[in-house]
Amino acid sequence: MGDLLDWIISFLFLVTLLIIVIYQLTCLADLEADHINPYDSSTKINRVILPEFGLQGLLCVYYVLTGHWFMAILSLPHLFYNIRLYMKKEYLADVTEMHNTNKGEQKKRLYKIGHIALCTIITSYWLIHSALGDI
Amino acid sequence: MGTENQNYPNFPARPPPPSTSSSSPFASAPPPGVPPQSSGPQTVGFRPLSSQPTRPFTPSGPPMAPPVGAMRPMVSQIPGSRPPPPAYGGGPPGGVGGSFQRFPTPPPFPGSQNPPPSGPPPPTQTLAGHLSPPMSLRPQQPMGPPGGYVSPPGSGFQQSVPPVNPSYSGVGSGPPQPSFPGYPSNQGFQSASQGPVSSYPPQTGGFSQHPGQQNLHPGYAPPTTSSIQGLAEDFNSLSLSNIPGSLEPGLDPSSFPRPLDGDVEPKSFAEMYPMNCDSRYLRLTTSAIPNSQSLASRWHLPLGAVVCPLAEAPEGEEVPLVDFGSTGIIRCRRCRTYINPYVTFTDSGRKWRCNICAMLNDVPGEYFSHLDATGRRMDMDQRPELTKGSVEIIAPTEYMVRPPMPPTYFFLIDVSFSATKSGMLEVAAQTIKSCLDNLPGYPRTQIGFITYDSTIHFYNLKSSLSQPQMMVVSDLDDIYIPLPDDLLVNLSESRNVVEAFLDSLPLMFQDNGNVESAFGPALKAAYMIMNQLGGKLLILQNSLPSLGAGRLKLRGDDPRVYGTDKEYVLRVAEDNFYKQMAADCTKFQIGINVYAFSDKYTDIASLGTLAKYTGGQVYYYPGFQSSIQGDKLRHELARDLTRETAWESVMRIRCGKGIRCSSYHGNFMLRSTDLLALPAVDCDKAYAMQLALEETLLTTPTVYFQVALLYTASCGERRIRVHTAIAPVVTDLGEMYRQADTGSIVSVYARLAIEKTLSAKLDDARNAIQQKIVKALREYRNLHSVQHRLGSRLIYPESLKFLPLYGLAMCKSTPLHGGPADASLDERCGAGFTMMALPVKKLLKLLYPSLHRVDEWLLKPSVDHDDLKDVLRRLPLAAESLDSRGLYIYDDGFRLVLWFGRMLSPDIAKNLLGADFAAELSRVTLEEQENGMSKKLMRLIKKVRENDPSYHPMCFLVRQGEQPREGFLLLRNLIEDQMGGSTGYVDWMLQIHRQVQQNA
Repeated sequence: MGDLLDWIISFLFLVTLLIIVIYQLTCLADLEADHINPYDSSTKINRVILPEFGLQGLLCVYYVLTGHWFMAILSLPHLFYNIRLYMKKEYLADVTEMHNTNKGEQKKRLYKIGHIALCTIITSYWLIHSALGDI
Repeated sequence: MGTENQNYPNFPARPPPPSTSSSSPFASAPPPGVPPQSSGPQTVGFRPLSSQPTRPFTPSGPPMAPPVGAMRPMVSQIPGSRPPPPAYGGGPPGGVGGSFQRFPTPPPFPGSQNPPPSGPPPPTQTLAGHLSPPMSLRPQQPMGPPGGYVSPPGSGFQQSVPPVNPSYSGVGSGPPQPSFPGYPSNQGFQSASQGPVSSYPPQTGGFSQHPGQQNLHPGYAPPTTSSIQGLAEDFNSLSLSNIPGSLEPGLDPSSFPRPLDGDVEPKSFAEMYPMNCDSRYLRLTTSAIPNSQSLASRWHLPLGAVVCPLAEAPEGEEVPLVDFGSTGIIRCRRCRTYINPYVTFTDSGRKWRCNICAMLNDVPGEYFSHLDATGRRMDMDQRPELTKGSVEIIAPTEYMVRPPMPPTYFFLIDVSFSATKSGMLEVAAQTIKSCLDNLPGYPRTQIGFITYDSTIHFYNLKSSLSQPQMMVVSDLDDIYIPLPDDLLVNLSESRNVVEAFLDSLPLMFQDNGNVESAFGPALKAAYMIMNQLGGKLLILQNSLPSLGAGRLKLRGDDPRVYGTDKEYVLRVAEDNFYKQMAADCTKFQIGINVYAFSDKYTDIASLGTLAKYTGGQVYYYPGFQSSIQGDKLRHELARDLTRETAWESVMRIRCGKGIRCSSYHGNFMLRSTDLLALPAVDCDKAYAMQLALEETLLTTPTVYFQVALLYTASCGERRIRVHTAIAPVVTDLGEMYRQADTGSIVSVYARLAIEKTLSAKLDDARNAIQQKIVKALREYRNLHSVQHRLGSRLIYPESLKFLPLYGLAMCKSTPLHGGPADASLDERCGAGFTMMALPVKKLLKLLYPSLHRVDEWLLKPSVDHDDLKDVLRRLPLAAESLDSRGLYIYDDGFRLVLWFGRMLSPDIAKNLLGADFAAELSRVTLEEQENGMSKKLMRLIKKVRENDPSYHPMCFLVRQGEQPREGFLLLRNLIEDQMGGSTGYVDWMLQIHRQVQQNA
């Protein structure tokens, strides 16, 4: 039963992360299409970046605490990437260069989404597995 | 078409002159010539409008231009023409445009057509190009064929075939004209000889040259001719040994191309399309746009443009002001293009077709005018917007988001210990005061001041006060403004208070011992005061910001960081505060100019960010001392305050269908993908952009560019400055090279390289420049290596002959050269920010400064002949140019260096320097002495400064052998020499040549 709860919680984590990153991506896409100006776009993105990083870190900790080593290891690269950005102070969107860096930023977020999606799929598999196993 | 007709008369006139026997046969049958003529203009594939192409030809009108030299000018005017060949030995003189030649040809050779004899059968169209060349190569008599030969450049020219035949046959008909079989015909000879012989000199030279074409078939060339002669010289070449390091005996550095005449703008473009805006406003890197992405990808040089929307126009060429009044501004409904000379009117004047998107728009009733028989509007002459490439349109209220702002100047002045000690404060206060009368926009001008050290001082300048009131805020963490109004006041109302303030400012702080600098909080305060209005914020900063938000660390010049991957970090803003502030300022139309004075590290990289993203500029006076640099600051600050400025502006560049601007480079902020936000612009700022093809194939024969700058003039009018230009679309890479503009290419490269230093090592940035040049020359070589035996020569198009040298100069410019020891970090960054904003001419001057020898000129009896160019010859920037008996003046637009040779006659030194002439020159300042020689020199210096008022070149004196000043001031800037670890011109060319050949 405890296992099921673990999976459910981590699943919720992942879905939230996914939503946040997709939200950032849409902001960037809007910027590219000139639906929004760089000021608004960067404000919107920067508002959610720290929550995203925090959530991702929490998720890793949660995996470790609940003993899901495989998932923890799977999430580590993402965590390291985030930490590196944070240390280099490059995690916030740069309002002055939004247009020039847009392409690259979008690509980064696509990779992130790919990674989170992978975790989500594995998690949902275990979620279903443990739910069925419990029955 | 009208113009075309005018031209025709010229041609008939030409035939008469033929004096030689050879010409006579042809004279008999002039008519045949006619068809080619008419076809001529159209043949030029890239010309859009038949009427325009003809213009260039008019200059050719004068049939007689025997001297080769005379031909050159024409060459440049002709679109298809090849630039004059290099000075190298066997080279033919100037090439003449294909179309050009065509005209003349027919007349001379008509006769020949009839006797088809010797010539090969009339070549087919496609053959024309190929066959013709051989002829030219042949030893034939120089005369006839050249003229006749039209060598149509590029595929576009195929139609011109008809002329070919005649010429061809002409060649064949050799009998009348003795041919010299053994003689390697080289154009030079032909043209030269021709001049006297026939009246058609201009054509002759040109003909063989057709570059783009493959006119030359090696097979045809007489085996004996050297490769040089065998080439139809559409390019220049240099013989370089391909043995690394060793110079062939024949290698002569003095024959290398040098831009000693300064920047030469390509004329052909402007003359081909006289309705284009002047090149001072818009310069394309090549005036021939590739028609496909594959062609564009073979053009390794940047495809782009440099725009200087407010460039100063010489007297009489001011941009006309247009007021559409109640009609409203006429723009395309779909793409929002402004009406311009290239739109076409149809439906008897009721509709107009947009030249950029081809949309058919209605002509407003008030703007309607009947068309004449040729489709021109009757009122064309009264409408500058339909005849001029540059106009200024008065914008109605729809173009304002708020009432036009008044010109606003806000000063943020550092009053810490070093600011007062260096005398900066005093000079600045005096200068500002002296400029109060000349600030633009009287009587609406607003002005305000904040000073700061460890606290922030606000000044109440309310007009009812007799003395300004100072308010000190020392809470740096939570900045507030002590007064809601009266910190930014109307100058004309508060004039007395402002003057009283400026008078007392130096005195107030003369004993200030505070060394801290609360720059960040002060900037925030200024921002809070200004964000209602916008305007220009001038920051005079004397030390490293040390308190409050935005404080910076002494990250300085740590030599250990150089050469590592972290190196670039030193050149970007350290604290995000600066980028954020810059973005916020731009949002509220605040433009920031940074003046930095410290002799210690002030982190220009961070401070300059403020200027970069607000469309401002950085002035850097390292180790400012008012006794030395006072004049410079005085002039430059005054210029900054009084030059005509465009406020709260935005700029957009519209390109024709299928093409778009892919990136922008310069000091501005992008508000949307293609909208440049420029809170304050003036004539000293230029912006570069790169173009990209959106479609794989462009089907239109021409492409249009329209630069529109929407701004508020100082007088309070909202205006739109529109520059329109047209460029042909070509299918031929050779044509792109022919139409290339070195100045513009160098300008784009320099900006790209400087941007690269912000994310990579200096070395990488330098290598990138070299690689790009190599790629471009390699592609060019490939283009010609098929038909020519190039041997070990380096070939390059005439239009790009200076590119390698400028490339070298870029690598040796302050932002890019050397390593940590060669320039302080601040100098590098300061120069980088400056170069990012420089217009083309100024940049080229900085890259390849002028060096003149003046002692002989000074000794000459005084002639009132002040023009620098006429009197003084520019010398190559190499140590060999310096003679120890001479006095030289070096000028890069930012400083003047007077170099006294060791053996210079003491009289001259004494005359110029007075009693100090034997002293160490670092302590001597140049002052006018009571003698003719000194006056003459001072006049010269004054003239140099007046020629370009945007910066005030400071005069340095240095004597030969005075180290290290000599090396720093002059020797290091002799860019053709090998200095330290850098390459000299010869080695650089060898390197490039080797790399070009490697993968060729």
